[in-house]
Amino acid sequence: MIKRLLLFLITALALISCSEDSNKSAFIGDSRAANTAPVGTLPAESLYSISDSFQTQDNTVITLDHFRGKPTVVGMIFTHCTYACPRLTADIQNIEDSLQNENGKINFLLVSFDHERDNPAQLKKFADSLKLDKNWTLLHGSEASVRTLSILLNVQYEKDGEGNFSHSNIISVLDKEGKLAYQKEGLNANQSATIASIKNMLK
Amino acid sequence: MIIILPWAVEAQGKLVTSQKSVIIPAGSYTPFFITKSDKPLKIASFKMDETAVTNVEFLEFVKANAQWRKSKINRLFADSNYLKNWEGDLDIGAANKNIYNSPVVYVSWFAAKAYSEWKNKQLPTVAQWELAANGRPKNIKYKTLTDYILGWYEKPNPPILPNVKSTYQNEYGLYDMHGLIWEWTFNFNSFIGSTDTRGNTQVDANNFCAGGAVNVKNKADYASFMRYSYRGSLKGNYCIGNLGFRCVQNLTSHD
Repeated sequence: MIKRLLLFLITALALISCSEDSNKSAFIGDSRAANTAPVGTLPAESLYSISDSFQTQDNTVITLDHFRGKPTVVGMIFTHCTYACPRLTADIQNIEDSLQNENGKINFLLVSFDHERDNPAQLKKFADSLKLDKNWTLLHGSEASVRTLSILLNVQYEKDGEGNFSHSNIISVLDKEGKLAYQKEGLNANQSATIASIKNMLK
Repeated sequence: MIIILPWAVEAQGKLVTSQKSVIIPAGSYTPFFITKSDKPLKIASFKMDETAVTNVEFLEFVKANAQWRKSKINRLFADSNYLKNWEGDLDIGAANKNIYNSPVVYVSWFAAKAYSEWKNKQLPTVAQWELAANGRPKNIKYKTLTDYILGWYEKPNPPILPNVKSTYQNEYGLYDMHGLIWEWTFNFNSFIGSTDTRGNTQVDANNFCAGGAVNVKNKADYASFMRYSYRGSLKGNYCIGNLGFRCVQNLTSHD
């Protein structure tokens, strides 16, 4: 137990000291392997193996394997958010703009933390206000489904007493088979490696 | 000549399979890390299992749900330490008799959540767990609950994990909320920064990192600090030798 306590202290200290390193990023796994996976069987690490269902902004019920076959860029947001979420969404829009030549070959996905207020109609309104095109899907899910996804994407979030959410800002890239391939943390970060990872999947 | 006393056999083979739960009255909870609004969260009354889930109880779950057996488990949902103290898929192990009624450990968040759902129950939220765990101990001597908890945190993990109900019972009737294992919570991956970082000039606004480290409710509450640090260091597929879980039943639906 003492060893473990020390470990926590070190973790805590690391948390305290890492505020300067605001643009952490990491390659996770090898995305190239996915292209050779047979259709029908998802690789074990695929996030698309979770059975939770979600509702889109068009009120369609889907499971995540709906996004199979294309690289998918994922952000977690809530639409009543006034600061971080519009910026995170703008960051993803910039990624889309940088990949205009690949139009239609990439999914862009926003999943809401706010299962109470962000119903499909509200998500539709949000998508329209930001002129998000047909490549974008906004998802509403149950509290448990959204929590599960956040844990798989290493996104931390918490609802406060006023019904708003504090949350980490992470852009994730899933490969064509739903494996977490790349993540970038922070707002307004340099997304060149994110874009490179997506291009690599489209080769 | 060996005389087998019937009551001794019964005691040895007695498997606690139906979990008793107790009602935790409604309350409020102020997160350890202060959020922008700083409004305490209201917590509705809920039912909580009086003990953590034991190895024999978890065995019933893996018997009924093949995908949660050691050899079948998806690494996305549990790391290679999953149930590592068990002999086999459906075998806690003859040598492990003394832990049959101890809390199951080396289980991931995904496994704990799946078990809860199988029982038509849920994992407690951090707020629910903290409210329940703050209950006054009934049958032990202690100066303050914090002293008791810190005393436990200082001790090394015992080589053989004691059975459930081996520590204290609190005012709600819950056993071992502190002193035996750490427990998974539904939202262990809670954010520990402040909501809207614009107002927080000291800290980098661009991500959550360390956002709230200076904004804790009570700097003297090391025990809470340890728990929040512990939860913050976890990932959903981690399986650890002193981490188990217990279930709750929400009396009003969240969805």
